[in-house]
Amino acid sequence: MRIQEARIEPFFAEIQASLGSEGINRDPETLRRYGENTMPGGDRSPVGVVYPASTQDAQTIVRAANRHGVPLYPVSTGNNIGLGSRSAVHPGQVIVDLGYRMNRILEVDERLAFAVVEPGVSYQAMYDELVRRGNKLMLDVTSGPPQGGMIGNALDKGAGYTPYFDHFGFACGMEVVLGNGEVLRTGDGALDAGNLINWHTSKYSFGPILDGLFTQSNYGIVTRMGIWLLPRPPAIRSFHFAFPDDDDLEQIIELCRPLKLSNFVPTLFRVCNDLYLCGSEGENPEYRASGGKRSISDEGRRALRESHGVGAWTVSGAFYGPSAEALEPQIKRVRDLFCQSGKARYIAHEEAEGIGPLQVAINTFSGIPSVGELGLLKWRPGGGNTWFLPGTPMDGKIANEFQRVCRKVYEDHGLDYTVMNVCGPRFARGLHVITFNREDEDERRRADDCYRRMSEEVARLGVFVGRAPLDYHEFHMGQAMASFREACSGIKQALDPNGVIAPGRYGIG
Amino acid sequence: MRTNFSEAQLADPEIAEANQILETCVHYGFCTNTCPTYVLTRDENDSPRGRIDLIRRMLEKGGPPDPKTVHHLDRCLSCLSCMTTCAVKVDYVHLIDRARVHIEHHHRRPWPERFLRGLLANVLPYPRRFQWALRGARAAKVLPSMVPSALRASLAMVPEPKRLDTDILAPGVYPAEGQRRKRVAVLAGCAQQVLNGNINRAAIRLLRRHGCDVIVSAGVGCCGSLTLHMGRESDARVSARAAIAAWTREIEAEGLDAIVVNASGCGTTVKDYGHLFARDPGMAEPARCVAALARDVSEILVDLGLAPPAEPKAYRVAYHDPCSMQHGQRVTRHPRELLRAAGFQVMDIPEKHFCCGSAGTYNLLQPDMAERLGQRKADHVASTDPDIVATGNIGCMMQIGQYLGRPVLHTVELLDWATGGPCPPALAGVPLREPAEPNQEPAPDIPVVNDGGGAANDVGVW
Ligand SMILES: Cc1cc2nc3c(=O)[nH]c(=O)nc-3n(C[C@H](O)[C@H](O)[C@H](O)COP(=O)(O)OP(=O)(O)OC[C@H]3O[C@@H](n4cnc5c(N)ncnc54)[C@H](O)[C@@H]3O)c2cc1C
Ligand code: SF4
Repeated sequence: MRIQEARIEPFFAEIQASLGSEGINRDPETLRRYGENTMPGGDRSPVGVVYPASTQDAQTIVRAANRHGVPLYPVSTGNNIGLGSRSAVHPGQVIVDLGYRMNRILEVDERLAFAVVEPGVSYQAMYDELVRRGNKLMLDVTSGPPQGGMIGNALDKGAGYTPYFDHFGFACGMEVVLGNGEVLRTGDGALDAGNLINWHTSKYSFGPILDGLFTQSNYGIVTRMGIWLLPRPPAIRSFHFAFPDDDDLEQIIELCRPLKLSNFVPTLFRVCNDLYLCGSEGENPEYRASGGKRSISDEGRRALRESHGVGAWTVSGAFYGPSAEALEPQIKRVRDLFCQSGKARYIAHEEAEGIGPLQVAINTFSGIPSVGELGLLKWRPGGGNTWFLPGTPMDGKIANEFQRVCRKVYEDHGLDYTVMNVCGPRFARGLHVITFNREDEDERRRADDCYRRMSEEVARLGVFVGRAPLDYHEFHMGQAMASFREACSGIKQALDPNGVIAPGRYGIG
Repeated sequence: MRTNFSEAQLADPEIAEANQILETCVHYGFCTNTCPTYVLTRDENDSPRGRIDLIRRMLEKGGPPDPKTVHHLDRCLSCLSCMTTCAVKVDYVHLIDRARVHIEHHHRRPWPERFLRGLLANVLPYPRRFQWALRGARAAKVLPSMVPSALRASLAMVPEPKRLDTDILAPGVYPAEGQRRKRVAVLAGCAQQVLNGNINRAAIRLLRRHGCDVIVSAGVGCCGSLTLHMGRESDARVSARAAIAAWTREIEAEGLDAIVVNASGCGTTVKDYGHLFARDPGMAEPARCVAALARDVSEILVDLGLAPPAEPKAYRVAYHDPCSMQHGQRVTRHPRELLRAAGFQVMDIPEKHFCCGSAGTYNLLQPDMAERLGQRKADHVASTDPDIVATGNIGCMMQIGQYLGRPVLHTVELLDWATGGPCPPALAGVPLREPAEPNQEPAPDIPVVNDGGGAANDVGVW
């Protein structure tokens, strides 16, 4: 960090003069709340929160930060719960809360199926707008908070479950306030003209693709982004299979891969372990007895599976088409494949609608934001929650070996192995949740240690994480090769020479 | 969240319950962006977890709360949007109710506020008094300068006489048409009967048409909801006790299949009678029985199955979910299903998880915030380009109607009309566009659908 000496008061005086009092909040309650998060490392209070209402305001803030050497931390909808919430990398940064006043849907093009949004537009707001327009277009959503948003999520390389799952991949054309205060338009938007008809339709344009620089980094503040939308299918039919044993993962991955390679199944597969599904339905029934010291027993897991009608692993996917009848043959094809080995139990769409955690899957395949999965976080009391997000190739043996390793690390730490493998054709992202009692010092320490141990174990297997909680950005950057680290710093130097934007985010600057 | 109550404080069961609720809040913060007041002010003390913290400090300290705490708790709508989003299911409703009771007992409000609150608590729950008060208010409207400033905002809400349709129901039995399928009591309500008598008339016609004996029981007045949410728990218990006694007599005499409520704010309270009397040995059981029988009118109609519409009227109906219905009772599917079955095109309203600002007496006590929310809601409603706006709670009907500048109907008025009843009086003289041809295509196979664009999908090919 090349910040000389933060001159906080003159910075705020300058912001006050340009944005007015509406644009600043320094109440003690505000600082405390914006510092809160759910991770093991503790809360971190900012020194203030600023609320830009326009790209110009964002530029004003960045320029003032440069002049006064004040570190900023931008958030959009600020629902990054489990990965940092709204808290900054370090205490003492100024949160730039874009969501409060920059939350307009700027455009919806129904013919070309894209929307253009400001940072504060949530999944729920976008969904509502598409419904208002007749529900012809479908937005890919996460299974996380409906009040999370497209820009924050895409910039953290978040993902959903429909064919448009890759939120950065299906984002097109950004407007960015760089660390030096200049405004950059990416892609076709770079043309120095006023009528940019391809800005949000073509990702590839003249010159290098700069958009990727703004994901998991700290080179700029994104103030506008295009997102592509899928025409809503008239019929969506989900299918689900429950498998009885932990090691069935090998078979599952082998079954899913060809179905995705050929894109026979248009959605990603959600392959959830028992606790990932049952966890949203109530607290760990054994927690109080063991004082949180032990992982849930195998019998405990079996009982939960039975009461919720799910397996040690449950696979979910969906087909899209003109009518439910038209999709029947495809469902039958998948069902025949999965049931061949005799281990899978088929759960039909209608039955799944009655099983809360599978309804979450149906909602995500249908592009409907919902809150069902948030309940996962109450599996243990005390509000601790952090995500561990590595992945494996779609190779059954490797994926299974991987689950054994991670399961053991959880168990060594007296925590509960909770994971969803989100499977595409070649790669499965393993969404591991570590829920822990943040008010219990020992458990907090175990959660932290569990995270670090797993990161080291999977690195030994040749695996890096795809996204990380704020607490571990620096740690993971330390796992990267030197030239990668140097390249990241070099770009930071070029785009944000005074290092004012989110210093430390993803271990950069 | 860690709390710090003394043993002596925890010996009070009300505090013990509040403590339990407080301990479940872990400050995840999913709730903040769904809280209407926080979204408008970005003030942490206007957010659910901010309020939870204020309540904790107020109850821990005991005695008179500081004015800041009262200010932020008064600004809470009790809309319960935060409860829908909360990952750990903090029982916020019972916590804020407890906080309001504490404020009522320990805080001396400035006299204009005391006067207004006293007036509302002593007038609204009593239809005859309310009727007189409205007459008085209309007279006062002519000379607004004579009215104390505390009352001026309320005065602005007084409907024009032509918008009033007072019909205070006498107790009695309205027999089923055709074969009797159910015997149900209907909560006639308090303020609703004065403001819009057609809601009860339409509900009773509908229920009779669908094979219900409908009983309006003697002795049932206000359900207690209005006073409960003002922190006047004892007043609420008096009203609730009377209602429970009357319905218990009915249950014991000829039995009841359901207690039907057509104002969802009241429905939420009646369904929660078990909690209101949980620590009253004599009342706990009857309260639980009554609560278990309580149904929103849309729930019972879905059970009964709506008769096919006489002549489908495919108007575009924007349906507003009252907070008490969506967050309090979690009833969102039923009204939409019924309106669709009746032939209407049903449209969701953007930001439907947000309160319209009515919230019981909120729009009278917090007119500024209520106005912002009312206008915001009306703008969203208008954005759907509806022919008709429908909802399930009289408070929302009045509030949205005021900011939209056109009548808002109750779901039962439309269902009654579609299945053979008269055109709702609120639509008399309102020009409606020619409805679209009834939709012949099967409804798309997705859980929540807006009918606005029709089933034809002209963007993609499937
Ligand atoms: C139960 C549960 C399920 C979840 N499921 C999913 C899932 O399926 N898929 C998934 O992807 N995530 C999931 N999440 C994780 C997370 O909650 C979401 O990704 C959420 O969308 C992130 O918050 P946000 O959208 O509000 O982003 P924000 O909090 O606004 O942004 C995230 C981060 O990006 C940076 N940033 C944001 N805006 C800008 C900007 N304009 N310019 C520069 N930098 C910026 C900031 O560092 C910020 O902290 C889940 C979480 C939970 C609790
Ligand atoms: S009840 Fe409504 S207004 Fe009150 S804190 Fe919850 S969301 Fe906010």
